[in-house]
This record gives sequence, structure tokens and C-alpha cells, in this order.
Amino acid sequence: MSEKDLMLPGACTLNHDGCVVCSDAGIPVWVVSVEGDDALCEDAAGDRAQIAIELVSPVRTGEVLLTHGGVAIGRVRRGERRVFSEVCRRVQER
Amino acid sequence: MKYVDEFRNAEIARAVAAEIAALTDPHRHYKIMEVCGGHTHTIYRHGIKDLLPDQIELVHGPGCPVCVLPMGRVDEGIEIAERPEVIFTCFGDMMRVPGSKGNLLEVKAQGADIRMVYSPLDALRIARDNPDREVVFYAIGFETTAPSTALTLQRAKKEGIENISVFCNHVTIVPPVRALLDSPDLRLDAFIGPGHVSTVIGCRPYEFMPKDYGKPCVVAGFEPLDLLQSILMLMRQLDEGRCEVENQYGRVVLWEGNLQALKSMAEVFELRPYFEWRGLGFIAQSALKISPAYAAFDAELRYSTPGVRVADPKACQCGEVLKGVLKPHECRVFGTACTPDHPLGALMVSSEGACAAYYNFGRKSFQKVGARE
Repeated sequence: MSEKDLMLPGACTLNHDGCVVCSDAGIPVWVVSVEGDDALCEDAAGDRAQIAIELVSPVRTGEVLLTHGGVAIGRVRRGERRVFSEVCRRVQER
Repeated sequence: MKYVDEFRNAEIARAVAAEIAALTDPHRHYKIMEVCGGHTHTIYRHGIKDLLPDQIELVHGPGCPVCVLPMGRVDEGIEIAERPEVIFTCFGDMMRVPGSKGNLLEVKAQGADIRMVYSPLDALRIARDNPDREVVFYAIGFETTAPSTALTLQRAKKEGIENISVFCNHVTIVPPVRALLDSPDLRLDAFIGPGHVSTVIGCRPYEFMPKDYGKPCVVAGFEPLDLLQSILMLMRQLDEGRCEVENQYGRVVLWEGNLQALKSMAEVFELRPYFEWRGLGFIAQSALKISPAYAAFDAELRYSTPGVRVADPKACQCGEVLKGVLKPHECRVFGTACTPDHPLGALMVSSEGACAAYYNFGRKSFQKVGARE
């Protein structure tokens, strides 16, 4: 997993996520280790936190999760960049 | 943040903006609503508005849960927080939201045990560590946040922790959007759908927009290029006469959403028959309450909250701004009586509120409407 993959959903980190109340603070983290219903996760800045993973289980080490308020609510699909890649390609072809 | 360069590339942004401009009919006025406060924040922080043709107007929607919370619910939270047996927990932004007699920060200064938490799971940990106290979590947020509250109560039940309850103010995104579409005040052409809410609920719930109202919707991510691309996708739909739901944020959002999170929410919550939204009034089935199976964790039952209604301050025009009828700077107290340091209305409190975004990032790009002062 590259740092670029980790930042796929956006620039939020555990220390800087905008506004958690807003509901649209989503922090991408990668899974360092799984411990029961929690996983030790690390963000792009290298900060680590325990994240609850029941809502996206099963989770594997190395996966990138989207977390909100200490709970993983989604998983980042590295291959799924089709729409965005299309824009970049067209621009580069200009 | 160098790793997000891909989504902030100026050259690509200019090229996408040029494509948008090429699709814009100079004789037409386009009104596109970004439902989510996070999108409003990105638009002003990164100057997206300045890249768009004058014909495209971005209207800010009701997607900030702090901003849409009626004052009566803030007052009821404060009343619970003032009880001596209670440790009251809430997210940071809630602390400064003004109720009719002050905010939680002031009540904390007067001696109430109010603690800021990052996650409802922190409230559960506090309950575990303080078995002789009653811990109340002030739950607020759309479908992105609701799963974390649901998961917390499921864990509390599983562990047999009884000294925690939730004052539930979770809201849902689809009913207010439908209310806006039904409102005669506003004519909208298209919607930018909320990205992370859709991580949980998926894209299917937005199908009513094209089907029932003929309005296209693109679910978008939160980086500047995400938003520009979403606007381009909407302009293409309008240009080609298409009308559908599209997913720009496919790297995170699945069409069907997160089924595990939805199952968890269905177990812990049920729909309220109606809920009051600031500026929008009462909207049917637009909020969540604790389900009978989890009634023991319902702070509204535990503390018998009366359900008071409190009118907004007369000068405050949050309601009109929330509906997109007024721009934030057109409010008569914007930047004068109401600032982020001394907010009068909730839209100025939350960092994602439309007024705070205008105040922090957009002030130089518009002229104050002098006639309203």
C-alpha cells in the first residue's frame, strides 16, 4: 500500500478531520493489526488509533478503511478510480 | 498535504473548469445544491466558485446536523447536563451551539460535568470507568455518524453496561431534500450528493430525485477536483437531457451502501414520526429515535425530556440560509452581531456551517449587502 492509496478518500487525518459532527469527516487509515472487534490503524500522518471494525468486518491487515468517530464505516477500493482517471486522461490528452 | 496532489492538481482543475464552461448555456441560470456542509467547506476553502461561470450558482443545503438542530433540543440537552448525577458527553462542535439560555461550554464553566468526546465509544469507556455515575451521550449527525452510536449501544448491551444513555438527535438526509424540492421558495436544477453519508446508505435512496422530480444527482467526494468533476458530470447530464443518479466517489461509496452498518442502525433505531428542523419546520420521518429493544438506553425516556420548542432569535436568519433562499452574507447579522467567536446562529458555530465557511474563506469574494445592515 502506498501513501497515495491511503489518501484516496481525501486529506483528513486523525488529528485533522474538520468537523466530526458534520458527518462528512471521513478519515482514511490502514490496518496495522486486528484485535477482536477493534483494529490498530494508522493515518497518513503516522498517527495511530484503535478503530471499531464490526461494521466492515472481516478486516485484513493492510486494508484501507474509511473511519468516522472512531468507527470504520467503509473500505477504500483502490481499483475503483475509473471515473476520476477518465477525467485525468482526457485532460492529459488535450 | 502532498499526497492529495492528485485531487488538487491546478492544471486538471482548470481543464475541468473549461469543460464546464463549454457546456454552460450563457442564457441559462443553473442552480446546483450541495447538500453537505463538507462540500460547502471545500467550495470556499479552495475557491471552486471562482472557477465556475457566473451562470452556475451553488446553493448550500441543509447538510450540517448542528446547523439544523432546533434550539429546544439544545436546551433539553443542557437540562440533562445540569443534573448532578450526570456525566454529559458530546462532540466538540456541540459545546458552543447557543441554546436559549447559553451553551454547554457555559454550563460546564458553572460546574456541570460535561466532557468533549471524539467518539460515542469514548462515552462508553467513561461509563465503564465511572459505574456510580450516569453517562449521557448527545448523539447528533446524519447517517455517517448514526452507525457509531448504534454500535456503541450494541456494545453496551453486550457488555451489560447500564449507566449509559443516548439523547438521540440523529437525522436522515433524504426527507429534508424532498422537503426542499417540494418548497415553492427554491428552484433547483441538480444536486451534489453527500459522499460519506452515501458510504452508509449507498446511492439508491437518491433515485427519487430524477424519478419523482426530474433532478440529476451526483454523489461526490470532498477534494476540490471531486467537486469540479461532479459539477461537470451534472452539467453533462443537463446538456444531454439525461437525468439520473451517478456516483463520482466510487473509490469509497458502493451503490448499495454498507449493509452491516444499515443492519446495526435498524436494530438500535427507529424512525421518528416527525422531527423539527431549524428553518425547515417539522418533517415527517426525518430523524431517528432509540428503538424499543434499546429503550433502557434512551435518555429521553430516562430523563423525561418535555420536547420544548424555542423560537430562534429574531435577528437570526439561519432558516432562510439553510433553505438556500438567502446567501450567508445576505443575513442581516452576518459578520456583525454574528461571527465565529460570538455566534448567534448555529450556521456560524460549526466549522462546516455555511456562514462559518463564508466568514472564514469567502469574505473577500463578495460585497456586503449594505441595505440589510
